[in-house]
Amino acid sequence: MTTASDPVIVAKDIRKRYGDIIAANGISFEVHRGEVFGMLGPNGAGKTTTVEILEGMREADSGDAVINGVNVKDDPTAVKAMIGVQLQQNAFFDKLKLSEIVDLYAKLYLAKVDPVEILSRVGLDHRKKAKYAELSGGQKQRLSIAVALVNDPAVLFLDEPTTGLDPQARRQLWELVKNIQKNGATIVLTTHYMEEAEELCDRIAVVEHGEIIALDTPDALIDQLLATGFKPEKRVREATLDDVFLNLTGRDLRD
Amino acid sequence: MKIYLALTVASLKMYFRNKQGLFWALFFPLLIMIIFGIMNFDRYNSPDVGVYDGANNDASRLLIQALRGSDEQELLNVTVSSLEDIHDELEFGSSRAAIEIPANYGASGQFAEIKVTYDERFPQERAVVSTILGQVTDAVFKEIAQVPDEYRVENAIGISESIVVGQGQGFKAWLIPGIAAMAIMQTGLFTVVFTLVRFKSQGVLRRLKATPIGASHFLAGQLTTKAIVVVLQTYVLVIVGALVLGVSVGNGRIGAWFDLTILALLGGALFIALGLAVSGWAKNEETAAPIANIITMPMMFLSGVFFPLSVMPDWLTRWSQYLPLTYLADGMRAITVEGASITTLGSELVGLGVWIVISFAIATKLFRWE
Repeated sequence: MTTASDPVIVAKDIRKRYGDIIAANGISFEVHRGEVFGMLGPNGAGKTTTVEILEGMREADSGDAVINGVNVKDDPTAVKAMIGVQLQQNAFFDKLKLSEIVDLYAKLYLAKVDPVEILSRVGLDHRKKAKYAELSGGQKQRLSIAVALVNDPAVLFLDEPTTGLDPQARRQLWELVKNIQKNGATIVLTTHYMEEAEELCDRIAVVEHGEIIALDTPDALIDQLLATGFKPEKRVREATLDDVFLNLTGRDLRD
Repeated sequence: MKIYLALTVASLKMYFRNKQGLFWALFFPLLIMIIFGIMNFDRYNSPDVGVYDGANNDASRLLIQALRGSDEQELLNVTVSSLEDIHDELEFGSSRAAIEIPANYGASGQFAEIKVTYDERFPQERAVVSTILGQVTDAVFKEIAQVPDEYRVENAIGISESIVVGQGQGFKAWLIPGIAAMAIMQTGLFTVVFTLVRFKSQGVLRRLKATPIGASHFLAGQLTTKAIVVVLQTYVLVIVGALVLGVSVGNGRIGAWFDLTILALLGGALFIALGLAVSGWAKNEETAAPIANIITMPMMFLSGVFFPLSVMPDWLTRWSQYLPLTYLADGMRAITVEGASITTLGSELVGLGVWIVISFAIATKLFRWE
């Protein structure tokens, strides 16, 4: 039996190699219920490989991934039924309307949902009759989050959800993720935007060459760095260029 | 079951929203059928005639040879067979005249009466056959006339003509089932290849892999869609073709539609499996398209879709008779044109069955999800 205090995700010494490339070299961590857990790292560090092993999309060479008490190795189908997944490259049937896509995916989980309600959660209810191919980049990402929510998942995996989005769309997605967390979901998120990690994540793991080289809260990681006597090269100003851009172009979403 | 239904319904919606798919399934084959149908190839062929050789002697063989004409100029396309066959062929098949050579033909001192029956609906062919027959018997008579005088009068050849109204429907009727078979091949191969390869290269299939459903559910939904499309398409093509070109289907036998459905499903299964094999192998549309064309293009012309295998050289038909589309087109033609029942189609069913097994074996070997 699992209890509320048990970790929802346990990754233990996960290893995976593709030929000469070591994608995961003994990755271990735990994620607790209701937490937003970030995995940070440059491209090719092994974030996606690790996440896809947790999702049951890839098999690890060795090690264990346990979601909600179920070992992915033993029953990947049961794990897939419990989780919601946004892949790094998402694609849906381009000839279907958004409400039909949500409805279809809900049926794949044998879940009863109101497609329009799910779409309204990601702010796409006004586009329910649009076809997938007609959506903007930000709308596509929001749809893929809507589809990931159809089975009321215990864990939501978001793999680089804001890559390629403009600042407005990115900020709107952050609000969306915060709202989903408020409703009690556990979220695992990969990103290479530090600002995004700082804004959303309760704890972050920094991944490099298939290993976790740091794991703590964002504040603690910054404090640790400052304790070494680190001084930023540039004087920190009160606003960033991101703020300038948003101030000039407005915070409203364009689509 | 519920999941499978949901996937089938979704995939049907996608299919009918895809205008390109509808074009290849219906408009393209209809266009070809109408173009070839109005061209009336019947006119340019030397007419088919059936000959019953009741005498079977040197004189009768000489007559048949004369009717055939020379290698340089074929007069009539003569098939020699039984009395019953030549009349069946005249009434239901492509034959335009049935010629009966009497047993006493060529026997000395006897009057031999050749009976000819024509199809009322083809006056042009009737005139051609009648003229040729008259000239040939004339010439043969003259040859015989060179023998001594005492035979000259009695040793005569007479021709009696009669007419039936045939049920056979010529090239137009022949064309429709061939085009319908070709359309099954196009739908099975091209729509399967293009949807699956696109879904694969876009990552749609990968996203489905992240759900608890098995790949087989998705595939079953896709295949059911295509099977439904193939059957509907066959109905539309045969009905529209029959209406536009004015021919009957299976001599009006209702069971012909059931038989056609079975054949369409068998043909569909065969070409869908080939489509799966190609989409399993190909990484994207650019590699898939040429492969699908290499498979379908030769069959379009070698399987007797637009013109009969009999116009092809023997060394080619020796191979092309075993092509999957040949079996399908021959089977559908037997049902719609000759009014045959599916239970009489031995070699066609066996041929289709063997090809289905081969195709599915290749498909399961080659199919990949990513």
